[in-house]
Amino acid sequence: MKVLIGFEVHQQLMTNQKLFCECPTNYQDVAPNTNICPICTGMPGSKPLPPNEQATNSAIEIALMLDCKVIANQPIFIQRKHYDYPDLPNGYQRTSLPIAKDGFLEGVRIREVHLEEDPGQYDPTAGVVDFNRCGVPLVEIVTEPDMHSPEEARKFLRRLVRVLEYSGKVRPEAGGAMRVDTNISIEGGGRVEVKNINSVKGAYRAIKFELIRQKSKLERGEQVIRETRAFLESQKITVPMRVKELEEDYRYIPDPDIYPIIIDQSQIERIRAKMVEAPHIREKRLMEQYGIGMESASVIASERELADLFEAVASEVDPKFAATWFRTKLKKVLNYMKIRAAEIKFTKMQLVDLLKMITNKEITPEQGEIVLRIMAKKPEDPRKLISRLKIVPLSEKEIESAINEAINENKKAVEDYLKGREEALNFLAGNVMKITGGKADPREIIKKLRKRLDLIQRGESPK
Amino acid sequence: MAMKEDRIKEIEKSAEEIVEAFIRASEGLPSLEETYYAHLKFNVMRPDKRPSQDRGDFRERFLLIAPARDESGNLKVEAAKWVK
Amino acid sequence: MGEVTREKLESLKSGALSIVENVHRSLDRIEKMNRDINAFIEINKDALARAEKIEKKIKHGGKAGKLCGLTIGVKSNINVMGLRATCASRTLEDYVSTYNADVIKRILSEDAIIIGMNNMDEFACGSSGETSAFGPTDNPAALGHIPGGSSSGSAAAVAAGMCDLSLGTDTGGSIRNPASHCGIVGLKPTYGLVPRQGLIDLAMSLDQIGPLSPDVYGAALLLEVIAGRNENECITLDVDKISYTDGIDEGVEGVRIGTSSKFRELTDPAVMEVIDKAIARLEGLGAEIVEVDLPNLEKGLTSYYLIVSVEFFSATRKFDGRKYGKRIEDVCGDEVLRRILRGGLISKKEYRGKYYQRALQVRTLIRRELMDALKRVDVIAGPTVPKLPHRLGTKLTPMEIYAYDYLTIPANLAGICGGVVKAGEVKGIPVGLQIQGPMLGEKDVLRVMRAFEASR
Repeated sequence: MKVLIGFEVHQQLMTNQKLFCECPTNYQDVAPNTNICPICTGMPGSKPLPPNEQATNSAIEIALMLDCKVIANQPIFIQRKHYDYPDLPNGYQRTSLPIAKDGFLEGVRIREVHLEEDPGQYDPTAGVVDFNRCGVPLVEIVTEPDMHSPEEARKFLRRLVRVLEYSGKVRPEAGGAMRVDTNISIEGGGRVEVKNINSVKGAYRAIKFELIRQKSKLERGEQVIRETRAFLESQKITVPMRVKELEEDYRYIPDPDIYPIIIDQSQIERIRAKMVEAPHIREKRLMEQYGIGMESASVIASERELADLFEAVASEVDPKFAATWFRTKLKKVLNYMKIRAAEIKFTKMQLVDLLKMITNKEITPEQGEIVLRIMAKKPEDPRKLISRLKIVPLSEKEIESAINEAINENKKAVEDYLKGREEALNFLAGNVMKITGGKADPREIIKKLRKRLDLIQRGESPK
Repeated sequence: MAMKEDRIKEIEKSAEEIVEAFIRASEGLPSLEETYYAHLKFNVMRPDKRPSQDRGDFRERFLLIAPARDESGNLKVEAAKWVK
Repeated sequence: MGEVTREKLESLKSGALSIVENVHRSLDRIEKMNRDINAFIEINKDALARAEKIEKKIKHGGKAGKLCGLTIGVKSNINVMGLRATCASRTLEDYVSTYNADVIKRILSEDAIIIGMNNMDEFACGSSGETSAFGPTDNPAALGHIPGGSSSGSAAAVAAGMCDLSLGTDTGGSIRNPASHCGIVGLKPTYGLVPRQGLIDLAMSLDQIGPLSPDVYGAALLLEVIAGRNENECITLDVDKISYTDGIDEGVEGVRIGTSSKFRELTDPAVMEVIDKAIARLEGLGAEIVEVDLPNLEKGLTSYYLIVSVEFFSATRKFDGRKYGKRIEDVCGDEVLRRILRGGLISKKEYRGKYYQRALQVRTLIRRELMDALKRVDVIAGPTVPKLPHRLGTKLTPMEIYAYDYLTIPANLAGICGGVVKAGEVKGIPVGLQIQGPMLGEKDVLRVMRAFEASR
């Protein structure tokens, strides 16, 4: 059966003030209903301030990064979208007509991009509303239903999130900064919209559930009605939303209190000149400019700061070598330490020195990796580090003997692991690390440990 | 209840009278462009400066007139019907 | 004639009349008359305290503001922090304003004393002053007759001497209509000249706040204080504050005044007789009377009501009872509900083109005609209302009430300015002369009004 999946992604833009008033946007840092004024709480008689210029420019930049055609030299009205919901103090949401159309991101067409204001935060279970968030600017990205499976959908969302993070213009991912509505239809059934999704994982689960629900209905010969449903995160299901007002006509009118916007070509060019290179474009360029493979380029481009570091380093050492190192060793260390590239503290020069020492065969790659791991914790000149710690890589024999020692001295932990408790494995690995003075590669250790313990389980002895 | 519905029906009917009068009055008038704004301007925007620090006692006034609130300062409204 | 405000202001500034005494006079008059006239819904308990404060400030050498202790009534759809902006409706009967409208900030900074919140037609949806949830207002100049609306209380309060000046709002004639019926001066400024931040909407693209006054000078003075660009909203004319009192006595020598035969077609002959005399008087004072063409003037009425209904529907969606007040549909009067239902219907997707957008096209037509006429003349003079105000309690159909608006609506659709000054009476009932001017033509309008007033 043919499956069509599309998204409407809402992402908060990073600005100092809200879209139509001067209230601060740091809604998570303050008590409920603190960052409020007559405008963002819908007091009788309140009128919007002129729209936040930064928000408009950010939305244009994001649209350009998604390869969209920006609507130029035409009035773009801010409209009132009317519906009744507790988080909407005016009884309408201010939302612009598209500022850009016809974009593309890795296999999925972007239908349009526009600007709108965030409603307040409504807890539907507790029945309370906090207007701190109300009026924060949002960029909305609408895709065509070009995805055909939950996996495709998840992959696209991850790529989209990467683009948004690259732009530097969105609020960092933190509790509700991105919201997703998804529409799913199966051939023969109606189009179902699912709201209340706050993460990529949630989207994946919601779509999976919906497909199962819809498929089984169709198989039973029942109709899949066109409706709006809500995703319940805790139960991983969707339920009918049955809010009459949400399905009624939005009665769009241009907001009489706000003049329309016109974007001119020179403004677009100015933004394009200053804008951050989109990740998928950067990936391609890395491959072409530095002659590196897709796998390396993909890893390097996964974070903008990582790509920046790579390009800084690649001007001093052989790019292909650096790329392999980034893909295998650096990424491994970052993952293990659970730090983002933006949080790296060692300098580009320190990394360059380290890589140079390896290419000059002053130290081995294994020694290099040890140094990298230490540098990531506490940045230091690699030469000094090496001479001070007398870094020598471990031999296979040394690793095996350390593992034996750990196993023999922690029989309880071994038993626990064999009973099925995974944490025991980490405990043993930590022990091995201690014995080897931190010189071994933790992933290697875990791999070897697991193999040994499996042998023990099977009652075999190591070869 | 029935009286209320009757009243609404009657008002709806009388509401439409002027709509019908409009159709008659506008018959034969030219199709011009629509005037949404009395005086039209474009791109009236606001730079993204430092946010407002002092909003006076608005929060107190807001909470004072709210029909219901909780101790944290949230506005209390109805729970959503689809949550159950 | 027409010196009341000027004289009052002089005596307040010189100290001959104390500001506190002026407030006492207003309060006493209100105490005496409001039960019958019902021009005020709420009186400001802090008015005397404020008067004392201002007196003290001036005594200690502080500069007196332009409005120096004048008592001002404020229509109940304008936010005055601490007072209730009820819009004369049960929906907001307990809504204590949480902020000051920008016009209020401006008049307070010029030492005005807000004496209370004026009665009005509910949510400004009316032209008679009979639809308030707090009871109808009587016409002090023609007792037993409607005062007009929707700024009924603002006009009646000034006509009865309960306050020196008042603020009203005009969407389709709601300042000019009651000014005419009550025999006082009223002015609807050019759209966008006076800030709307803090004005509870009837129709966003048509509403304007404006002054009501016993005389032209008072209206000019109050306009001066409230007009001028406002950074605190989007839809504002980018113009500096200017003086409207300067040059007000220049007379009408050489001023070109337009009139249209269309007015006669639409107006009661008794009313038109008074207007004819008034225009003749202006000609006698040196003005040149020119015939202008307004062929589609009356077509504005129906398109106006469609536009207003759509915008009012949108404006009232916030009255859901969750943040303040009650849900509007649960407690409002018939005319308010009528406009909400009508607006909700014709803004639906399937009707929007046929009704709303078509009405906006007719708006363009009316606007062009009026603006073209004003290219040939400096101002247009004519009647304010097509008929005399009916007796309170007379049963009229909605269409009959709407018919009062024929002559005032065009100025709102076009966004131009218009003022009213008393022209005469028919059987003791006031008739107002309407002077309409082009965008930002207030000074010419006021000049013509003043010349007429001075000659009475």
